[in-house]
Amino acid sequence: MNAPSFYGEHPPGIEHTPLPGRLVVIEGTDGVGRSTHIALLKEWLEARGYAVVNTGLRRSQLAGRGIERAKAGNTLDPITLNLLYATDFWDRLERQILPAMRAGMVALVDRYIFSLMARARVRGLTAEWVENLFGFALVPDLVVYLDIDIEHLVPRVLSSTTGFDYWESGQDYLPSPDVYANFVEHQTRLLAEFRRLAAEHAFTTVDARRPVSEVFKDLCEAIEPVVQSMATFGSDVTESAEVASMRPSLPGT
Amino acid sequence: MPRSENVLPGRLIIVEGIDGSGKSTQLDLLRKWLVNQGYLVIFSEWNSSPIVKGITRRGKRKQLLSPMSFSLIHAADFASRIYSQIRPALQSGAIVLADRYVYTAYARDAVRGVNRAWLRRVYSFAVPPTLAFYFDVPLEEAMRRISIGRPELKYYEAGLDLGLHDDPYESFQKFQGLIQAEYNRLVDEFGLVRVDATESLVHQQQRMREIVRPHLDGAMRQPNPAPVDALHVAGLLGHQRSERNGTREVSA
Repeated sequence: MNAPSFYGEHPPGIEHTPLPGRLVVIEGTDGVGRSTHIALLKEWLEARGYAVVNTGLRRSQLAGRGIERAKAGNTLDPITLNLLYATDFWDRLERQILPAMRAGMVALVDRYIFSLMARARVRGLTAEWVENLFGFALVPDLVVYLDIDIEHLVPRVLSSTTGFDYWESGQDYLPSPDVYANFVEHQTRLLAEFRRLAAEHAFTTVDARRPVSEVFKDLCEAIEPVVQSMATFGSDVTESAEVASMRPSLPGT
Repeated sequence: MPRSENVLPGRLIIVEGIDGSGKSTQLDLLRKWLVNQGYLVIFSEWNSSPIVKGITRRGKRKQLLSPMSFSLIHAADFASRIYSQIRPALQSGAIVLADRYVYTAYARDAVRGVNRAWLRRVYSFAVPPTLAFYFDVPLEEAMRRISIGRPELKYYEAGLDLGLHDDPYESFQKFQGLIQAEYNRLVDEFGLVRVDATESLVHQQQRMREIVRPHLDGAMRQPNPAPVDALHVAGLLGHQRSERNGTREVSA
């Protein structure tokens, strides 16, 4: 058990006492399959007796709905947008992630500061400003980056219910009115930022172009050593046949 | 700086000070003086961004704000006003008057334990003011002024989240004292113009105007006379306008 470690200064109001839980982050661009894998991983971890809490962007009590409303107006400059996301992130870190880790749970987080940093960087904010801002973030025990390329991403986004989203296509900062061209341009820039961050922060990169079952197997293998030494509540929950068929065979089960 | 800095032709004049220092009154008198001379004056108030203030209000009402979220949401409000109001006005050459600026965040957030260097880097997108006034008032005098006009102290306003004292008034006094100590450091660090806020209202305003006057050359003026002039010319009283917009503009 280690005392909480932050990227920058230890933020005010956060205890220095060690956290028995684990922080596992799944990063990657929109449409890469993060939420599918989060759902599978939650079930997998719970079936093995771990208590899991999951959270993702815009789910804070404080700022979640406020961001939705602000984005609907399409009048946001990148700095305000980033500070709103930082507020939302901090509120979730303080109220969801840290309490879960104090209680010895696995916090399974759908997108962390890295998505926010990548979005800010492609919109022209300096690395220095962005890194300072998010210095208040807790260093995760594991960051898995789901990597994809444009060729595989486009059909997934097209077949989703929302299609090309205004913000995810970079319509707010790219000059062209062409949504498809902007989507490709924006996502290409984002992917480059993600890969740069993955190298800088030593993420575990998983090739997400492959079928769900193969990606899931890699995710389980990456998470296994991180949670291994944790206390479990015993396995009362039974995993579904779907999860059982995909996960790697587990020692001792 | 997150973005390249252009030279802005406008003027930015800001006031700072603890609650009860009289800074808002003085800024309002300055605004009237500038408007009467025909200058185009834009007024920006702390915590007033239409995009952000709803979140802040919700956080305060439900007491959801911690030192960090308090700091972050105020930075968001400030950024929103910088990019949608203050910067465009300065780019056009107008005079912007701001009641509280980055120094309020530096003082309050530092008292709540937020790292000072981090705050300065977060707020590095702020436009440096042309003039920044600090209204210096003894704590006892500020407390006396506030106890007259204010019915009840709010939770964050009184600094009750800091756990300095259970009684709102006692907490407020301690909180303001700590903020004042931070302000005193900021006056030196950023060269704020100190105004003795125990002087008479008129004397303070005269001093302010003397300091502001040399900075007004070439500032943007109102292109057309205000609507009230049209009413005078036509011999009308403006009942319709005042019913629609309130009486503020007509009586100005």
